[in-house]
Order: sequence, then C-alpha cells, then structure tokens
Amino acid sequence: MKLSAFFLLLLSFNVSATTADTESAKLSLERLSISLRQLNFSTSFVVVKNNQAEPYHWLHGIGENEQELEIFTRLNGPRLDVLRQGDVVSYIEPDQEPYSIISRDVRSPIPTIFRGNISELEESYRFISVGRSRILGRVAQLIRVVSKDKYRYNYWLWLDQKTGLLLKMAVLTRQGQLLEQIQFTHIEVDEQLSDNLEQFQLTELPEVIELTMQGQNKALSWQVSWLPQGFTVVKSNQHKLNSHNRSGDKAVEFMLFSDGLVEVSVYVNLSQEEFRAPEYASDGATMVFNHVLQGIEVGVVGDIPLATAKKIAESITPASVDSAKTNDRNSKGEQ
Amino acid sequence: MSEIKSESISSLVDNYSPSTDDSISAHLVDNMLKDEDLSSTWQNYHLIGDVLRDEVPQSLQLDLSETISAAIAQEATILSPNSSMQTSGKNNHLPTQENAAISNNSSEQQTNSVVDATNRFKAKVSSLIKPMGQVAIAASAAALMIVGVQNNVTDNSSITPSQVVQTVPLTGYANPVSFNVQSSQSQQSKQQTQQAMNEQLASDRVAQQRRLQALLKDHNQQVKLGSNIK
Repeated sequence: MKLSAFFLLLLSFNVSATTADTESAKLSLERLSISLRQLNFSTSFVVVKNNQAEPYHWLHGIGENEQELEIFTRLNGPRLDVLRQGDVVSYIEPDQEPYSIISRDVRSPIPTIFRGNISELEESYRFISVGRSRILGRVAQLIRVVSKDKYRYNYWLWLDQKTGLLLKMAVLTRQGQLLEQIQFTHIEVDEQLSDNLEQFQLTELPEVIELTMQGQNKALSWQVSWLPQGFTVVKSNQHKLNSHNRSGDKAVEFMLFSDGLVEVSVYVNLSQEEFRAPEYASDGATMVFNHVLQGIEVGVVGDIPLATAKKIAESITPASVDSAKTNDRNSKGEQ
Repeated sequence: MSEIKSESISSLVDNYSPSTDDSISAHLVDNMLKDEDLSSTWQNYHLIGDVLRDEVPQSLQLDLSETISAAIAQEATILSPNSSMQTSGKNNHLPTQENAAISNNSSEQQTNSVVDATNRFKAKVSSLIKPMGQVAIAASAAALMIVGVQNNVTDNSSITPSQVVQTVPLTGYANPVSFNVQSSQSQQSKQQTQQAMNEQLASDRVAQQRRLQALLKDHNQQVKLGSNIK
C-alpha cells in the first residue's frame, strides 16, 4: 500500500518534471537559434565520423547594415569553403567552379534548422533537457532531440550555459549507437567584428547563378507512397545524375523531402536490369541506398536508418495509379 | 523490519551496498530470492529507476522473472546428480561470493553422501542446484548478450565501408575471405575461375561504389540548391 502510494507520487512528480524539462529544452534551443544569428563568434570544431576527424573553422558576425557574415572552412584536404554575406551564399568546392546562390540557409555540418524556427521540429521530435556537464571547459546543458518514431535518429546537443552556443553534437541511433559527432575545440565570442570578417566584408563573392528551374514540380511518373510522419516535399524535378562514368549520365526523377532537421533524396529511373539486390553504404549518419526492383531503379539518400530508406524505396509506385495522391503531392511541392 | 529491508534493497538497486560486508548483502539477496514480496520490491525499484532515467523500453515485459523461474523449475529436475564428486567439482567453478555461501552446504552434503546417498541427499542437492541453475542461466544470458553485442559491432563495421567518403574512387579491393577458403581439389582451374570471379566481383564493387557515390554527391548538391526553392 505504502509502496504503491510512493510509486504514484514518483510518477506524478516525474510527469510534471518531464514537461518542465521539455519547456526548458525548447527555451535553450531557441536561445541557440538567436545566438547563432546575432553573436560575433569565431570557433573551431571537428566532425568525427567513419573513424575520421575533419577540422573546420567557423566565423560568424554582424557587419554593416546588420548584414550577417559567415565563413565555414574545411581545414584538411582539398579546399571546401562556404561563404555568406546576408542572403548570398557561395560554395567553393574542389571539383567545381565557385558559385553563389541566393539563400537564407547555409549548408554546413551544423544543421540549418538550429538557426531557424525550432518549433518546426516539434511534429517529429521531442526535446528533453537532461542535465549539465563540462564541455570545452565550460558548463554545458545537454539537450536531447529525440525522434517520436523509430524511423529517424536522435540528436544530442550540448549548449553553452553562458553564450547559448553549440559546444558538442552527437547523432545516435535509437539503440544508442554513436554515428557522427561534432566537437568544438575553441570558441570565442566578441563584441567586435573579427578582422577576418572585416576583410571578408569587402571581398566580392563569385557570381550568383540563376537556377534554371529544371522542370520544377513537373508531374512525375513515380510517387513515394510511404514516408515517416512529418516529412514534406521540398522540391521535385528531373535531372541528369552525374556519375563517374562519362557516358553513364542518366536521367532521374528526383524528389527531396525534409522533416525540418533531416533531408531525404529519392531518385527513380527505369533500369535495363530487372532486379538488383539492395546495396547501401553509410557516411557517418548519412545512408545511401540503391536497388532495382521490377525494372525500376530507386536510390534513397539521407540521414535516416537503413530500414527507413528501404521502406521508402519499396513504396515507390507509378503515379498514374492514384491520381488523387499525385495532385496532393504536387500541391504540397508548390508551397 | 520490512521497511529496513526495502530500504536496503533500494540502496542495492542504486549499486550501493548498505554495509561494507559483502556477506550481508549476499544474505539480503538470498532473502530476496526466497521472499516474493521483497523480490517484487526489487523489481519495482528497478522499474522506477528506469522510468526516471528515461530508459524504459518500448514494450514493457514486466513478468520476465516469473517466466525465467518457471523455466528454471523445469530445468532443475533434469539436473539430478549421480555422484557427489560432480557437484563439489561444480561448486568450485562458482564465483567467490556464491562459493562462500554454498561451501558450507556442499561439505555437509559430502559427509551426508558418505553416510547414505539417499533421497534426502538428492532433495538437498536439487535444492542446491536450483540457485546454481539460476546463476548458470544468468551467466549464459550475459554471455549471449556479449556475443550479440560483439556481433553487432563487427557487423556494422563490415556493412559500412568508409570508401564512400572519399571522392576519388579506389582501384583495388580486398577479396572476401570466403574466396580464399576452398578445397585444394583441382587448384589450377579453380584459381583461374577464382581470378575471373574476383575480377568480376571487383568491377561489380567499383560500379556499386560509383553508383552510391553519385547518389551521395547529387544529394549534397541538391540539398544546397534546394534551400532557395522552398
């Protein structure tokens, strides 16, 4: 009797504590979003995946006219830079001419959503504030971003108590296996814009390329009939897939889905083969999956578990079968 | 009395022995195994701890111990010993804690068996075997878990080649072990076919790597461009 009363008390305490944890976790994430947009900081971090460590420099600051300035630089191997002045983002990559696009997002190892609207994630993830620990010699708050279903990975974020900035991030499977990790090795927040960014403000970025809307949102002949809850179409098109074979360029139908944190690409094309067994590889948390089933080649790429990729690939059906669904998807795609 | 006991169980659950003396906590565990109330307390405390730490599995199997003890009850009857030597030999293999607790019993049984190896002895031994059976099952479960974990680890490393990361495709590939392990019969012709197969396999792998790399590369590219189409 006593015990059951005690148990009930514990449970009720636990429930109220959980909601409080969720609230404080969300507040911390919102603070992170603000800090990433408004602070002048200069940091170094290391991305650890596949038993390799890749070091990066990351500078951010507010320049003249409240313009955000940002530089990501990969320090090892061929040069890989992402530069941003306000809405203009430039990518400088090893095997490509430098180019700029107009975008508010910067594609870097740090997920874009962390500087955006955190509540977009609430449909698919729960936020849990877990506790404090010491990271990079600072007091850090550990926030877990936990998937609500089994089709996604979980994300652990260690946020600086003082500045709200990210100190460490880990991507884990539901079973707790570590897939990818970002560890900051240096962080400096300053009132003043750093000299590097001061100079960068004056440099001219590569020419902005106009994106030819390569058949944007054209009615596609294939559709994905299963996706985890919360994924919506970002875009769909038809383009050539550039393979290493010079002659092997092939036209694919392409769809990009996102749940706010994770992007998933789906490629569909007709194959000469009737069947090819599933093949897959993973790059840290990113799964690449490919198979041929009944003459249809399907590729799925994204930060999702293998089972999810397989399930998406197997759900590909001809669009004409269910025209109502197609219309629905197209209208989503035009948002 | 019961409150004191549940308190000491609570501290046991928290991995903290109430006293420095190991034999007392061993005694407590013995008590708990006998007393159904206490063992359910033990179970509940663990459940509470799991809930607090947010480690509750998706589906709760609350009655695991009952099914296990039912299984043990069935097992134990089979294990009736033929000679006292065997049982004493087995006792030596037990971990030290249990050994200390049981050694009294076993010596008693040995003398008993010298006097008369009757039903009484059998009953005693089988009651002795029961906890041993539990220990054995726990140990084998632990061993299975370790094997399982190791399998998992090795599986993952073999499934996920790191070559995808590199933008430059590799030219050489290690052959799978299974191709080297073959009977020595008609080595020459087999080697030739092997070589052909290996070449075939290698080219298949190169093609596969290329396909997957092309997908990964295009995905990264599309995600960059995709952001401004929203």
